[in-house]
Amino acid sequence: MAQQQLVQKTKASPHSSAARRRTSTFGYLLVAPVVICLLVLVVYPFAFAIWISFTDRVIGRPGQFVGLANFAYLFGQPSFQATVRNTIVLVVAVQVLKLFASMGIALLLNQPIRARQFWRSLILLPWAMPAFVAYMIWKLLYDPLGGAFNMILIGSGLSGAHIDFLGTKELAMPSVIIATFWRGFPFWVISFLAALQNVSLELYETAALDGANAWQRFRHITLPSIRHVVLVVVLLSTIWTTNGFENIWLLTQGGPSDATMTFPVLAYFGLQSLRIGEASAVSVAMLPIFTFLALIVAKLLQEE
Amino acid sequence: MISRLRTSQKILYYSLLVLLAVIILFPIYYMIIISLKLPRDIYRKPSLLPIGATAQNYVELLTKQGFLLNLGNSLLVAILATTVAVAISCLAAYSLVRLKYRGRDWIARLILFSYLTPASLLFIPLSIIIAQLKLGNSLQGLIFVYLAFSTPLSTWMLMGFFRSIPLDLEEQAMVDGANRMQALTKIILPLSVPGLIAVSVFTFTGAWNELLLALIFITSPDKRTVPVAIQYLITGDVFRWGLIMAASVIAAVPVMVLYYLAQRFVVQGLSAGAVKG
Repeated sequence: MAQQQLVQKTKASPHSSAARRRTSTFGYLLVAPVVICLLVLVVYPFAFAIWISFTDRVIGRPGQFVGLANFAYLFGQPSFQATVRNTIVLVVAVQVLKLFASMGIALLLNQPIRARQFWRSLILLPWAMPAFVAYMIWKLLYDPLGGAFNMILIGSGLSGAHIDFLGTKELAMPSVIIATFWRGFPFWVISFLAALQNVSLELYETAALDGANAWQRFRHITLPSIRHVVLVVVLLSTIWTTNGFENIWLLTQGGPSDATMTFPVLAYFGLQSLRIGEASAVSVAMLPIFTFLALIVAKLLQEE
Repeated sequence: MISRLRTSQKILYYSLLVLLAVIILFPIYYMIIISLKLPRDIYRKPSLLPIGATAQNYVELLTKQGFLLNLGNSLLVAILATTVAVAISCLAAYSLVRLKYRGRDWIARLILFSYLTPASLLFIPLSIIIAQLKLGNSLQGLIFVYLAFSTPLSTWMLMGFFRSIPLDLEEQAMVDGANRMQALTKIILPLSVPGLIAVSVFTFTGAWNELLLALIFITSPDKRTVPVAIQYLITGDVFRWGLIMAASVIAAVPVMVLYYLAQRFVVQGLSAGAVKG
């Protein structure tokens, strides 16, 4: 759009080449601070991370090129294999939950209900609070002694003993999934709702005249109209969820015995143990998936 | 057609909404009541009601734990990071949307990919770079690093907002003798106030909420930001829940109020920048 306008503009009022040069110098000047920031803080570290992952660098010693040794070592580690499994389970479960629940909630909030604005503000709450606060609250809710869930379960007689939700191998991952879902779903609902409001009402009216039922209307009108937004939200959120640090760090720190270990937390532990080469290899191992997702999102976001 | 609900539908919808409200509000309610309880009440008299409510946790936090200093650090970092990020993003977004030069599309792509690059990929090399720049364990270093994550989103969103402003307005001003900079400050920025608010809210909360990088870069107690300070209220396996929840309430209230007030702009910002492109 902007590009077309500019082309039209240059055609309509021909500038001298000197004026055009001034404009382009000015353009570079304005964009320079952001570009420099990103070169120093994103592009260089990005390339640096890849380079380090091929070295045996530790804190205080630059290390030497070791080829794929770090990756070979990692892939043979049971804790790394667990990390791959956990990350997939966590992300798939959380995203599927978010997709269905948020679609349902967005459709519900799009109905002619009373105090719609109130309900929409309410939905924002889990997302409006800092992630670290949200996960501290869930850590407390799950607490065997002071936590609300145990209080309710024991008080109502549903459970005779205190349940250590985050400390039990089988329960830790489902508990993390629920907390991650609670924090993340509002973004989806708000985005879906905004898209739903752009769906033309006339289409629904025509469909109703043709005798389409609610499911048919959803399937053939609603879904195609909001497809683009749904796709972008799913992909963006998948990138964020895969790279989430706070949920795991605050709830379980990857435990018990790696049952909830994910890539970012494993890389953080690697950094703490000062073995930077290996830690970097953990981050870089995610790169193929990240690149794949980012390329699709970028393409979708550039379409208008 | 869809303006009236049947009674059965009404009952279903409102029960679902009430269930939703409980799911959303119960954890927040629990945070607040625990922040008002002393340890002996939390463990010995477990209750979902605010029995024995006291402000003692808040008093201890602010007077004995030095939490005011942490709040000050967080506020300083968030305000400065926001100011710098929004200022340079305005310039970049204007340049990318309105001026024509070689490599412009590549720069736009760089910004988009930077936005999509997660912190977990960058924190290890960033910790080395920050140490080399002698910015480790400083609030300046933190502010600088946060630009990596705030400027791409701000620029991308502002590009969406700037694009929606008709070109004629600017051309008219320039015919009247305004230069580019004046066109930006007198025409574009005043018309982009909703966008500027949205971008500021996202940048401010991004910096206020950030845990991972602050945890890595900040080593001395007097420079801790709020999320890091809360970590240090946990000693080993001992969670002082009253204090932790009081700190959480204090940390959450400002950003939640901000989101509530700027709600309209935030939602608009999401659809202008992050989602629709």
